[in-house]
Amino acid sequence: MPSTFSNPIALLALAAEPAALNESASSVAGPAWFALIPLLPLAACVLCGLTVAMRVRTKAPAWITVGLLALSFVVTVAGFMGWNGGSGTPQVAKVYDWIHVAWAGADSAVHTFVADFAFYMDGLSWLWMLFVTGLATLIALYASEYMEHDVGKGYGRFFAAFALFVFAMACLVMADNLVLLYLGWEGVGLCSYLLIGYFYKKPSAVAAAKKAFIVNRIGDLGLAVGIFLTYVTFGTVEYAELFALVEKGVDGDGQALAGMWQAWAIPLLFMVGAFGKSAQLPLYVWLPDAMEGPTPVSALIHAATMVTAGVYLVARMYPLFVLEGVPHYALWAVGWTGALTALLAATIGMAQFDIKRIMAYSTVSQLGYMFAGLGVLTSVGAAFHVFTHAFFKALLFLACGAVMHGFAGQLDLRKLSGLRTMPGWRIVSITMLIGCLNLAGFPLITSGYFSKDMILAEAFVTPGAAGIGWILLVTAGLTAYYTFRVYFRVFEGPQHYEPGDELHGHDDHADDAHHHAHEHEPADHGHAHADHGGAQEHGHGSKPAHEWHPHPPKWAINGVLAVLAVLSFAAIGTYFMDKAHHGWVGGMVHRSSAEFASPFAHHDPAHGTEADGEHGHATAEAHVAAAGRFLGMDPHKAMYYVSAIVGLIGIAAAWWLHLAGRTSAATSRADALLPLLGPVPRWAQNKWYVDEFYDFIIRTPLWVLANVCHMIDRLLVDGLVNGVGLLPQLLARGLRPSQNGRLHGYAAGMAGGLAVVLLIVFLVVFSA
Amino acid sequence: MEAVINPILLYTLLGVGGLGVLLALPREKVNPQAIGALIAAAGFGGIFLALGLKAGSNHPGLFFYLFALIALGSGLRVITHPKPVYSALYFIMTVLSSSALFLMLGAEFMAFALIIIYAGAILITYLFVIMLATQAPSEEDLETLSEYDAYSREPAMATAVGFAVLALLTGMMAKGAAELAPSGGLRQSEALLTELPGKAIDALDRHGVFDGGALVRPDKTQAAELIDPVHRVIMLEVKDAEALRRLFERSPLAASLLGSEERVAALKAGSVNAGDRIEVKLPADVVVSSVDGVGWDLIAKHPMGLELAGVILLMAMLGAVVLARKQIEMGEAEKLDRVRSRGGEASGVAGARSAGSGGMAGAMAGSAGGGGGAA
Amino acid sequence: MNTLSSLQLCTEAPLSPGAVTLYHYLFLSASMFAIGIIGFLSRRNLIIMFLCTEMMFQAAGIALVAFSRYHMNHTGEVFVIFVLTIAAAEAALALALVVLLFRRRETLDAEAWTELNG
Repeated sequence: MPSTFSNPIALLALAAEPAALNESASSVAGPAWFALIPLLPLAACVLCGLTVAMRVRTKAPAWITVGLLALSFVVTVAGFMGWNGGSGTPQVAKVYDWIHVAWAGADSAVHTFVADFAFYMDGLSWLWMLFVTGLATLIALYASEYMEHDVGKGYGRFFAAFALFVFAMACLVMADNLVLLYLGWEGVGLCSYLLIGYFYKKPSAVAAAKKAFIVNRIGDLGLAVGIFLTYVTFGTVEYAELFALVEKGVDGDGQALAGMWQAWAIPLLFMVGAFGKSAQLPLYVWLPDAMEGPTPVSALIHAATMVTAGVYLVARMYPLFVLEGVPHYALWAVGWTGALTALLAATIGMAQFDIKRIMAYSTVSQLGYMFAGLGVLTSVGAAFHVFTHAFFKALLFLACGAVMHGFAGQLDLRKLSGLRTMPGWRIVSITMLIGCLNLAGFPLITSGYFSKDMILAEAFVTPGAAGIGWILLVTAGLTAYYTFRVYFRVFEGPQHYEPGDELHGHDDHADDAHHHAHEHEPADHGHAHADHGGAQEHGHGSKPAHEWHPHPPKWAINGVLAVLAVLSFAAIGTYFMDKAHHGWVGGMVHRSSAEFASPFAHHDPAHGTEADGEHGHATAEAHVAAAGRFLGMDPHKAMYYVSAIVGLIGIAAAWWLHLAGRTSAATSRADALLPLLGPVPRWAQNKWYVDEFYDFIIRTPLWVLANVCHMIDRLLVDGLVNGVGLLPQLLARGLRPSQNGRLHGYAAGMAGGLAVVLLIVFLVVFSA
Repeated sequence: MEAVINPILLYTLLGVGGLGVLLALPREKVNPQAIGALIAAAGFGGIFLALGLKAGSNHPGLFFYLFALIALGSGLRVITHPKPVYSALYFIMTVLSSSALFLMLGAEFMAFALIIIYAGAILITYLFVIMLATQAPSEEDLETLSEYDAYSREPAMATAVGFAVLALLTGMMAKGAAELAPSGGLRQSEALLTELPGKAIDALDRHGVFDGGALVRPDKTQAAELIDPVHRVIMLEVKDAEALRRLFERSPLAASLLGSEERVAALKAGSVNAGDRIEVKLPADVVVSSVDGVGWDLIAKHPMGLELAGVILLMAMLGAVVLARKQIEMGEAEKLDRVRSRGGEASGVAGARSAGSGGMAGAMAGSAGGGGGAA
Repeated sequence: MNTLSSLQLCTEAPLSPGAVTLYHYLFLSASMFAIGIIGFLSRRNLIIMFLCTEMMFQAAGIALVAFSRYHMNHTGEVFVIFVLTIAAAEAALALALVVLLFRRRETLDAEAWTELNG
């Protein structure tokens, strides 16, 4: 703590040598043009802001953003190539000195706090940045068409926030120290708020934005305290020094970490922060509501990038989580919470009817998978799942968005059916199918299958995590079921569509809506006849029939969907590269701080592992012997088949319940099953009343407290003030009878005076 | 230390009584008059009980308590009854019970004077005025009370002040009672006998003491000195001893007064001569009654007060006459003047105008509103 | 001055036997007086208010006669005669005034007359 600044010159001198601190054996200096990666999106944000100020009425903000994001992606690829071709050690690229504080402590030791605007690029960072910038570019392109209704109104605002988000995400991922990571963390939270609340005139959107921000804040508190504790324990917040200390197993003063409570408290706090950002139990409630934002936002932020920031944090800080000699509370908490969240979200998703919301719950569920993967000691599996999930989930969201865009905001799967056979919707349908197959983990031809399989296998390998494994396996079946429920209801079956609430994209044209209920022949070209046999949705009398027909997507949407579908397939390929490290992703993870070779990892001779080199051979064999088995079989091999079977069962169940024998859009064979299950489907549909529970335990006591304080203010404080004003009134009221001309007042005065005189006589004269 | 009554008990019971009176006062909505009356009775009754216990054998007797209860009860009813006529009637009952108390105190004249003057004159006047000034009940509701009768005004304040005064008074009185000089001493009523010699002489006459010229009959001024009120004897001079002896033998009535056997023996022995003074007992019916006493005090000791009382009554009479004249408006007075100046013989006009008062005087005095200043 | 001792209603000397009996009457008189005060302050009918003053006269009368009896003379009774005189005079004049007031306002309410305010 700063006690005296007795030698300011010495202190300044100390503070003036920052460059030396970053150089260490574990990292090399990186080129400064890495800074372009975050700064180009920042420039895009500023330019979009200018377009708003200049009231530009074209699609210029979109092209600016797409262009600059594409440029950022190119820089990322270039940087990655450079790094990949080099030694593969982490590179630290410093842009400028940001926070440098030095003071002399009580024991005349010099304490410093250094947080530079610098980037720490290792495998994990490159992996993340590649798909973040890539997806951001694609989704910006998609959004250029999707948001075209708002050109001239909110278009520029949207893209400015979008670009700012990418800047913040880049800061988060590429940060060299925890403070810059926190900057990015807060930044993505802010942009998420801005973008969810983009339709700020809708109260539900505003409420959802506030909910997201506030729930994130709770997690941010955990992260902040974790950062504080890190600094206090290790004396530094920079990754390079931190990892060096952790590798040696000592804290900032050189004491052994084993046995210190901070060693397991810090990971727990980081975990809280991660749960807030990545929507795990109990802080997941904001993600489904966040679907109020435009679909590109959902795709980018709430599927691929922001929600993976939590996973990134845990992966980045993985050395702290897996420290030897320290109880691994955080690790188990991460694992079990992830698994339970996955199951919970899957059950809720099974009972929803809004397809975007189903996808949101599916995101929560898959994030649970990732955290579970981290918990069962496969950071590679988690990272690979993040990678594949980013592509196919973005794809799924964008496809849903295309449906929403084309059907004027209609998202209810009871009101849409048979889209595949409608003209202009073929690409959407095919890409949607590809995405669904990935999500369900269809064997062998989807990347989702491989990534999920890795986590499932590892769950059974790591001893004590079999429970997690079974939960995840059941969830896999449920995932397949609800995913294909969406596909079979919306894209297959008889054709039927109804427009949603956003007819013509603006609510002020809602009085022109007509209610179309048609059964079309497949050969019909989708032009609705003005059939007034059905009920009119808005009884506005006989207005001239304004024909509405669905609005198939154009080249931007279709193109992006196609590219994403291709990339989903390409991700399979990455699994087969670099087999020594379980795929290309594994190789990236291997060259990062998230590298952890589980001692229980099965030694497949074809793969090989480096764990042998790190532990003694005997210990390694003991660990392998202790590794779990799946029903008596080797988990890795067994899981290939078991997860495939489970996925297929889910798909078959969905087919049987939602496609076979379905003649209308609103009902299916599943509805016949509902009465058998009692109230459970209704509970699931109501999200297991979690929001209501939070309302009860948090909002209600606060409301009560606020009312109590209000009462105190009104009665006590105002009462006192009013009471002071009341005193003259009372005084006057007491004195008034002597002046108001009424006989009784005067008589009472006389009688009272008599009493007083008697009293005086009694006391004074009669004193004994 | 001897206290007439324990002060804490006194004030507590006064408080209870106050609460009772407060409840008994008429008010708008809830009217627990009966309960209030009971509580007040309990309070006051408690105090009387304590006093009676303190008095022991000296307590004033059953009748005192009875009449005190009636007096206080009807007094309470006077102030709590909503109808004014009833209030006046209850007041009459209060007067009657207090006259009974006067009787118990030996003031018979005052008792009946109270009834005659107070109940018989003053309260009848009150009743007349009440009936005069009460608005006649209309046909729809014959039983409506005026609003100012039905509710009491600020009962709490009134009760509080009243009972504060009462507490202080009773406290002071108790203190004073403890310091009171003991009563007794010369019975002044007896002492008055010396002032009323005519009574004694008339009574002796009736008993035949002066028959036959045995004793010298003194005149009133002489007799005043001869009466001894303490022993109830009068010293009379013997004129003729022989006649005295004959009186003894003839009239046993006189003999009883004149003396005992010793006297008789002395007479027979001839030891009594003319010019001797003998004691003659005064008959039992020579008493100074209350009337005598009051009259004597009034005239002999407070003559000035008597005169002034007369003057006051005269002034009151004049004042009442002035006040109760029929009102004559200013305009009417001028009309009267004009009529008079035109044709004064039409006395019927003048007579018809001011009933019960001098026309000119009334006209010049103007409206009678301020006439109360004469009182 | 000792306030506390002055509040005690007792002395060193023993009570004379007649004092307690006298106190009975005095207490009765004080009670009637207090009732009269309460009535005067709480009733609004002018006539009843005057009636309550009459009650106060009554109470004074009882006290006077009781003292007269205690001291074995007639002074108190004579005083009561004067009190009666004054009461009669006052009653007559008061009622005359009440009648006049009633003629003005057609009401016997004491609250109707507030011209003396201020």
